[in-house]
Formats: sequence, C-alpha cells, structure tokens
Amino acid sequence: MTTGNGLAVKLKNFLLTREVMVGLAVLTFMIYFYIGRGLPMVLTILIDFAVFAIITMSLNLEVGYTGISQFGRVIAVIAGAFAVGAIPGRFMAGFMGLPAGLSYGDDAVNFQVVPQITALLENSWLLSIVFFIFCILIAALSGAGVGWLVSRPAIRLKEAYLGISLLAFGDFFMWVGHNWMPLVGGSTGVFVPDPFRVFGAARFEVVVITIFVFSILVYVYLNKLTRSPFGRMLKMVRDNDVSAAAAGKDIVKIRTQSLVIGAAIAAMAGGLYVIYTGTVTAMGFGRLTWTFWPWAFMMLGGIGSTIGVLLGVFVLTILRTLITIYRFRIFGFLMAFGIDPVWLEFTLMGAVIVGVILFLPYGLVPEKVEPILRSSSIKRLLGS
Amino acid sequence: MAPWMASGLIYASALALAAGGITLLYITTKTFNFAHASMATWGFYVVYSGVVLIGGTPYQYFPFAFLFGSLLGVICYYGLNRPLLGRRASDITLMMSTLGYDLILLSAIQMYADYLTFGFKLFPRRVSMGLFDFELFGTRAAAVILPLMAVVFLSGLHMFLVKTKFGVAMRATIENPVLAGASGINSDRIYLVSWVIGGGMAALGGAAMAMAITGTPVLGMNAVPFMFAGAILGGLHSLYGGILGGFVVGMAEYAGVFALSQRFGPWVLGYRMGIPLLLMAATLLIFPRGLAGIPWIALAGKLFGKKKGVKV
Amino acid sequence: MLTIKGLNSGYGKLQVLYDLSMEVPSKGITVVVGPNGAGKTTLLCSIMGIANIFSGDLIFQGASLKGLLTHLLAKKGISYVPQMGNVFADLTVMDNLHMAGYLIPKDEAKIKAEQMAVMFPVLKKFVHRKAGTLSGGERRMLAVAMGLMKNPKLMLLDELSTDLAPIIAEKVLQEVARLKNELGITVLLVEQMAKRALEIGDTAYLLVSGGVKYAGKASDLLQEPDLCSLYLGIKPSLLKSKSLELPSSAEGSG
Repeated sequence: MTTGNGLAVKLKNFLLTREVMVGLAVLTFMIYFYIGRGLPMVLTILIDFAVFAIITMSLNLEVGYTGISQFGRVIAVIAGAFAVGAIPGRFMAGFMGLPAGLSYGDDAVNFQVVPQITALLENSWLLSIVFFIFCILIAALSGAGVGWLVSRPAIRLKEAYLGISLLAFGDFFMWVGHNWMPLVGGSTGVFVPDPFRVFGAARFEVVVITIFVFSILVYVYLNKLTRSPFGRMLKMVRDNDVSAAAAGKDIVKIRTQSLVIGAAIAAMAGGLYVIYTGTVTAMGFGRLTWTFWPWAFMMLGGIGSTIGVLLGVFVLTILRTLITIYRFRIFGFLMAFGIDPVWLEFTLMGAVIVGVILFLPYGLVPEKVEPILRSSSIKRLLGS
Repeated sequence: MAPWMASGLIYASALALAAGGITLLYITTKTFNFAHASMATWGFYVVYSGVVLIGGTPYQYFPFAFLFGSLLGVICYYGLNRPLLGRRASDITLMMSTLGYDLILLSAIQMYADYLTFGFKLFPRRVSMGLFDFELFGTRAAAVILPLMAVVFLSGLHMFLVKTKFGVAMRATIENPVLAGASGINSDRIYLVSWVIGGGMAALGGAAMAMAITGTPVLGMNAVPFMFAGAILGGLHSLYGGILGGFVVGMAEYAGVFALSQRFGPWVLGYRMGIPLLLMAATLLIFPRGLAGIPWIALAGKLFGKKKGVKV
Repeated sequence: MLTIKGLNSGYGKLQVLYDLSMEVPSKGITVVVGPNGAGKTTLLCSIMGIANIFSGDLIFQGASLKGLLTHLLAKKGISYVPQMGNVFADLTVMDNLHMAGYLIPKDEAKIKAEQMAVMFPVLKKFVHRKAGTLSGGERRMLAVAMGLMKNPKLMLLDELSTDLAPIIAEKVLQEVARLKNELGITVLLVEQMAKRALEIGDTAYLLVSGGVKYAGKASDLLQEPDLCSLYLGIKPSLLKSKSLELPSSAEGSG
C-alpha cells in the first residue's frame, strides 16, 4: 500500500462501508419520491421506516444476537402503545379535575376529555415536552416490565415452543385491550393527548423528524451495545449456551437483560407510533403487522446484522409504498374480478419470507463475523 | 343437548382434527406448520362455496375440503418443506417458511372472498354456516355428524397406521428416520403422505370449525394459537396425544366460558381465549411433555395405592 | 465388492475421515477396529449416505454409491445395523422384521421372518411384543435378524458387542461368522471387542484419527504387538498364548 494516496484510500474505504452505501440508496429513493410525489409522501415513508426500524432492530437484538425465538414482538409494542394510551392522559385528566378513573376509557368521555388536555398542552412548550418525555418513559418502563415477564418462560422453553407461546400471548393481550374498555377504550379505542400540537402547522413534520431521530439514536445505541463485551457475550450464548455457561457466564441473566432491553425499545416505538397517530385501538395491534412484518424485514436484511436490518426495513417499506401507489395501475386487471389489490401486501410479505429462506438464507447483508479485537491490535500483538 | 355443549362438541372435534394434523406434521417433518391457519380457512371456503354455489348440505363438501387441504399441503411440501429438509434447516427456519406460505394463502383467501362478493353477490366475509345446517335427533346435525366424522376419520387413520405396510413404515420413520432409510423406506414419500394427511386434516378442521363459529377470512388465523395449544397440550410426540389435546382445549374453552359466564356474567365471553392459553402455559411449565407424557399409571398407582402389576 | 477411494467425509463442517481408502473383498468378513473417535461409525455412515461426503468415491459392484439416498443404497443390497437405535422400539418384533423387509414382497417377507425366528429362537417368544421391551441382547439379535431380512449382499454391522454380556457378545460374533458361511454374504464389521472380531475376520483395517493405520489380513494384525497394545488395548502377553489358536478359530478364512 502506498502512503501517497492514503487519503484517497481512506475516502474510498469510507464510501464503501455498508452504512454509507445504505444511506446513499435511501437518499436516492427519497429524492425519487420527493420529485414524483412531494414531501408528504417522503414523510409517510420515513415514519413507517423509522417506527418499524426501531421495532425490527429490537427484534434483531433478541433473535439475531441472543437467539431467542421472539414470535411475540407485538407484546412489547402493545405494552408501549397501551401504556401511552392509558396512563399519561389519565394523569393529566386527574390534574385538570376531569374524569380520570375507569371511565376515561369510555369513548363518550374520552372523546371530550382528550381534546381538553391537548388544548392545555398546545399552549405550553414546557408541559408538552414534559408530557412527551413522560410518555416515552412510561412506554419504556412498561415494555421493560413485559420483557421481564416474557423472559421467565423464555429461559425454560425450547425454540419453537417459546415462539408459539409468545405468539399466543400476543393475541391474548390484543383481545384483552379489545374487550376491557377501561384500558384503551375497547373496540372504539382512546385518543392520545398530542404533545406536538404546540408546533402548530408543522406538527406532522416535527413528529416525523422526532421519530426518525429516535430511530437513529436506537441504531447508534444498539451498535454500541452489540460491539461491547455484552454484545459478544450475547453471541456467545446464542452460539453455544453450554460452553458459555461453562465459561462462567450467567446465561439466565444475559437472556433476561437482552429481552428487557429489546422489549423496552420496541415499547417506545409503540408509544411513539400512537402519539403520531393520536389514537390507540387494540385491534390495530395484531401479530401480522407488529410481529410478522418485523420478522420479514429482519430476514430480508440479514438476521444478526443491524445495518442489514435497516436495509431490509427500507427496501420493504419502499416496496409496500410502491404497491400502494401503483396497485391500480399495475394490478388493475384484478379489479375486473372485484379483487382489491391491497391484499397483495400479504402476498408480498409471504413471498419475501419464503424467497429469502429459499434463496437468500443469510439476507441482503449477512452477519459479519467480527473478531474480538480490532485488526490493528491483533497486528500489534502478533508483532510483539 | 344444551346449545353450548353442541357448539363445544363441534368446535372440539374441529380442534382435534387440526391439532392432530399439526402434531402429525411435527413428528414426521419436525415442522410447526403455521400454514395450518389458512389451510383451515380454505377448508371452510371450499365447503361454503359448494353450499352456496351448488347447493346441498355442507357435509357433502367435506371430502372436497380434505382434498383441497391435501393439495395445499403437497404444494407446501414440494415448494418449501422438502428443499429445507434437504438442507437440514433449523426448526425456526422451517416454522418461518410455513408462515410465509400461510401469508400467501391468506392473501389468496382475501382475494377469493372479494371475488365471491363481486362475481356472485355473496357475503363471504361473515358467514354463519349454522344456517345451512338441519336438525337431527333434536339437536343441530353438526353436533352429531362432525364428532362422528372426526371419530371415523381418526379411527381410519389409526387403522392405516397400524394395519397397512405403508402406515407401519410411517410410524417407523417417525421413530427412527435413519434406520427406516437403511431398511429401504423412502422418507420422501412418508413426508409427502404426512403433508397430504396433515393438510387435509387442517382443512377438515377449518370446515368443521365454521359450523360452530362465524366463518371469516381470518377464521384460521385467529384459531391457530388454539390449534397449537391443543398440539402442545398433547405433547407433540404422539398423534393421539395431539388429537386428545385439541379436543380437551376445545371442550375446556366452551365448558369454561359457559361455567364462568353463569357465575360472573356474559362479559367473560370476551376473554375466552384465556382458557386454552392457560392450559397451554400450564402444560408447558408443569408437564413439558404434554398429556401423553404424564405418567398416568404411576399417578393412578399413587392415588389408589400400589396394586399388583402397576409400575410405579 | 466395495471399494473406497480417498474418502473425506464428516458431519456438516466437521471432517472426521481423511483420505481414507479401503477394499472390502467379496464373501468375507472385513473387520474395522480402532480406538474411540477414530471414525469407525462415520465410515459406515458415509457408506450409508448418512454422513456428508466431501470428496472421494465409493464403488459397490462397479457402480458409484456417491450421492445416493439411504433408501436407494438399501435397495442396492446393503443393509446396515447401527450401534444405537437399531430397532423400532414402538413397533412389535414382527412389524420390525416386516419393516426391515420393506423392499421384498409381502409373502417373501413372511417366509423370511419365519426363517429368522428359526435362526434366532429367542425372538420366537416375543413376536407380538414391542421391541422396546426386549433386553439388550435380544434387541441386538433382532437387529441382526432385521439386517438379514432383505437378503443383503453387503452387511454393515456397527459395534455388535455393545451392551451385551461378554458371553453373549461372543455368541453373536460366532453367529455372524456362521451366517457369513451359510448365506455367503459380505460383512463389514466395526467392533470394539477387537480381539474376538479379528479372530473371526478375514481382512482387517485399523483406523486411527480418521485414517488407515494398518491394512491386511486380520490374523496378521494380531501379530503386531505394538499396534495391538497401543490402539486396541490387547496385551502382548495375551496375544502370544492366544495367537497359536488362531487358525482353528478363524475357520472361515481362506
């Protein structure tokens, strides 16, 4: 290697890193959508991407790094969404002397209470910020709690058994939310007081940017976490728990930590999502959207690779959007039979899962085998 | 017969068939078949289409439902399961692959429902199959015919597994695939037949289930946790355990909900899915090998004192 | 009958056998001995298409066996009696025999099963019992009977003497020697009880760490005190006294 064009080599290496490549791809598509469809389209894609990126990254922490068959991702999302739907609004209502008890969930009451809370928030920057932070904290806490609960059977059960149990309990929580009115309003749902109304007309843009920034923070955090000794320990437990135990690692503790962190992150995504939509309806939290889609994203991107997961989320979000935009133009022939092309989304999800398993078992960006030491320090050690 | 009991019997028979199918596929191919969900729904739609488009009773279309389920199973085997088994994929990969297949089948169901609505002016998204039923022995015919059908079908399956050479070969492959292969048994054919039977059982289960609950495009998708609960309760290592597990789960749900709603009021109905889930969770935590793994004889020995010839 | 050329095989990524070549002559007993972990069972699994073959070739009666699935190898007339799991525990003894004779017509299988009951009188009492309830020795007998059911040309026997009392183990090995003479089948015998096996065997291979350490006449291997004591745990003092009797006990050789 010549030292003269060291900078050029460095630049080339930098441009070839997976992060930059993915970033460029994202940017290209965004510009395409911006030109073709305008800013709202770009923002819609961005928000879908950001919410699912957070959830899928948390799923990847549990599945890819820890080797837990998490088929109940929706449980943590529900924990976050329901907590944000049920708790912060009640606090505010309580302070304001409005009905805050069981009747808060009643749609006739909720429909009048929440706008009053939002009106209060709209006039105070400080209150809005405090309320938002409170929402996120409460989502993270309830997520962590659910993660801990899930970790109890997760330590005992084998792969597929655990997956099926988690899946079933995800459904159960959804039905509880649907039937127990005081929680999140049962079948009618509840409104969520909006801490972003304070931005006025720019509300949508600010929400999108906030969630997007949040997803970047999660990426940075998970990257740091998985490259730390803790991350290596996770992979060690995943690859061979017997030898990890023999090496003196407390497997139960490691798995529990991973599940708690993962669930807390996913719950925050659930909380952010309902703040963005402004409502919580239990039936909106089915396993198709909040467990199976993240699995499809993760498998396409590459299980065990965080940047791959981001790419997977992005590619599929774009594909979904394209289907939504062009469904009548391309699949219009289906309309002749009265068939709504919207169902193609399920076909796509299924085809991606099947196709990836058959033809791309390691995903778009396969997991990198990372040496424990950096190459420079290995060289140094070998040299001495 | 009390209405809840009639519905319970139908529902439990349906779950027994479906959970039996899941167990069969698991013990032969080590695959947790998620596609059971949409295979079951397809079974329902085959029967529904027959009744509304051709006419007659629902029961005469059950054999067609079975055949259609088998067809879906064969497609799954050749398209997905076989290549993955050849690659010695992990259980999670096998399970995920059937999930992908399930989603494709689900979208096909939705499109088919759209087509029925548009082409024939039907309302296929909320169907009470009970309307097409008739009365028999003072109760709904389904409450008599379907349990009977389940018993006949399962006895037939039992005879097949015990009396025929191929059936015995199937049991041999389940127990020891390596030795079975060395004996000249083609495991490929065994797996294919288990997909034929398993897929058919899923469709029969779905068709039967629609006689008890409202038929919708997500009938199977909503019911699949209970099918798995039944299979897990059965212990996932014997076909008969799975069938029994499915029946127990179904009956427990109806009886439990009936008893609880008498005591606490009708709001309990909303939480009915808690009963099978609790059963499943209890099984997994207390008897990880399921109903068939509980040492019944030893338990009986403990309860009734040690008798001669009872192994404790 | 069976020629193995430069075989490299193992399980998944794990390689067990390294560049192994051997020749199993027709109508004789070829004994494979060696310490634990030498790859003896893997050798049989490679022949049977159970282990993964990375390179090399297996030629059986002039045709390559490479890449054939297990049941097709069974069709070619190779039968395999594994060390563990060699009977179907959930099936009755009769069903076990019928399954072992899966490839032959039903009437023929019936006759054959009766022959087996004559050949192994122990089994006669248990025809309708589940194989899982048999004792270790009875199971091993059943396994050998199952191996014979389909009139094999080549029989692979893995560790016949495991979990048998020494007297019974000896009996089973004698039985194998007798069968070979009576039915004229070729036997590839992998055995822990090296000394006894070498006495009844014609050709011997000593496998160490996935490679062949010795190849030659079985009786000659017993004359190598170094190899015997190092790898087979046979004391030289025992060898000298016993080796004199060898020609008489290895009656089938020649």
